Amino acid sequence: MTAVLRAEKLSKWYGNILGISDINLEIGPGITGLLGPNGAGKSTFLKIAAGQLKPKIGSLQIFGENVFGNHLLFKRIGFCPEHDSAYMEMSGWQFILLLARLHGFAQTPAAALSEKALVTVGLLESKDRAIKAYSFGMRQRLRLAASILHEPELLMLDEPLRGIDPLWRIKIIQLIKEYEKQGRTVIVSSHILPEIEAMTNEIVLIHQGKIFAKGDIQRIRGLIDSHPHQVSIHCPDPRQLAAKLINNEYVLSIDFDAQGRGLTVKTNQRDHFFSALMRLIVEDKMTVEEITSPDDNLQAVFDYLIGK
Amino acid sequence: MKKYNAIPIIFASFFKSGFKSMRTRVFILLSLIPVLLMFIVRIVDSSNAGDFFSKVMLSLYFQLLIPVLALFFGTTIVNEELDNKTLVYLTTSPVPRQAVILGKYLAAFLLLLLIVGSGFLLSFLAAALNRLGQAAAWEELGVFLGTSLLALFCYSALFTMLGTFMKKSILIGLFFVFGWESVVQYFPGVTQKFTIIHWIKSLLPIPPGEGGFLIFQLQPSPTMESVAVLLLAGFLFLFMAVFIFQRKEYILSDNA
Repeated sequence: MTAVLRAEKLSKWYGNILGISDINLEIGPGITGLLGPNGAGKSTFLKIAAGQLKPKIGSLQIFGENVFGNHLLFKRIGFCPEHDSAYMEMSGWQFILLLARLHGFAQTPAAALSEKALVTVGLLESKDRAIKAYSFGMRQRLRLAASILHEPELLMLDEPLRGIDPLWRIKIIQLIKEYEKQGRTVIVSSHILPEIEAMTNEIVLIHQGKIFAKGDIQRIRGLIDSHPHQVSIHCPDPRQLAAKLINNEYVLSIDFDAQGRGLTVKTNQRDHFFSALMRLIVEDKMTVEEITSPDDNLQAVFDYLIGK
Repeated sequence: MKKYNAIPIIFASFFKSGFKSMRTRVFILLSLIPVLLMFIVRIVDSSNAGDFFSKVMLSLYFQLLIPVLALFFGTTIVNEELDNKTLVYLTTSPVPRQAVILGKYLAAFLLLLLIVGSGFLLSFLAAALNRLGQAAAWEELGVFLGTSLLALFCYSALFTMLGTFMKKSILIGLFFVFGWESVVQYFPGVTQKFTIIHWIKSLLPIPPGEGGFLIFQLQPSPTMESVAVLLLAGFLFLFMAVFIFQRKEYILSDNA
């Protein structure tokens, strides 16, 4: 693999707060998902990669060059930041055109590229409205347009689907996949596993500033599936349900809630447990009012994997 | 794109948006206060209008409006980008950082010049309505305009520099304008030369006794020396602003 991005012993902290620690990573062409809970260090990593922050220790190189202060490198890089920011008094068109001009394009090609980028994100009709009048999702799409307008070789997107409506989510995911087909490199961060899953199989798990795992998403899925899950079940007769579940081979423990209106089951095979529960409901006509899974999220998986 | 080709693009864009901003409108209104005063004096006592013009220029423009305007426009060149988290769009463009700050500085400087210059011109017209045919009146206007140009350049460069490395630069700037500049300018001997206003006042056609504070008075420096010091200081502040902006990392938000 030809590494587009290479980080070696990369560390960054802010005063006493750790951003990222001792990251060694190589990313090649294709889509790579940076996955981790909020505060894991994804944005810090991307900000260093985008030349916004300097590494405290170690190095990060893109196309073999250091990034901070290397403005010419940004001809080849597109970056979509996480924050909801733009020059709010400008219109969408003025904003995109300014950035196109700053990429060195003359007025006419800059206008053509700006128009193309706005068409891609569905904002051409709203281009003359002030950005402050845009919805959150529209601003997010505008930021995406700003990052792709010069058709970069490396596109870095920090939580690009945040605030985007379902229809545009699909379109943006398609756009990102299109970039991959063109042989470009896309690094996309998210704290939502299905978002990353929809884009790529190649993921980097970041937790507490460190790379926790790297590789195929199926492997991570396997870890998630074998992670002991808690399933809370509300029902009128929790004792009767517990009696039927206690001998199930996938049940590790059962706790009753204080009000006697439900129970919490811990299982190490979530899918098998749910099948067994469904059979009970159907065959034994057990009444169940509500089923919730309080730790069915990425943070819980990370907590499990690091042995909390 | 060549190193400094981005300066006109940044300048044009930020001049245009700055011109339409609420802050500029507020400062245009503020700069019209001396004009209003001049017109009132003109109507009430037209014989003293010329003398009053000099005093208004000194106390309202040079000691208040110019440093305060320069403070608000200069410090916001970087601070506004940080507050609005927009700096990332400029620093992830293939544009050298010095072009970013110089383009934005030039836009702010021209806005300041237009605000102050138009106020000056209107005040002058009100004061010198009956002596517009005299060369001396226009000469006086030229001196005030030239001095205001230098004052704006020096103050705005200083506050631009302050904004590049300090987030609360407005507070420090206010202390500088109303503390340091207001008091130290009246200290005897060479101490007063450590203020910018000393060099500005040295260029103005105001008798040394005027504008005194307690027992201390302005001890003007030679004209050429004053021009040189203001230019040198302005360029030095601007150079420092570019130097810091090129090297400093700006943290835009809580990092995840």
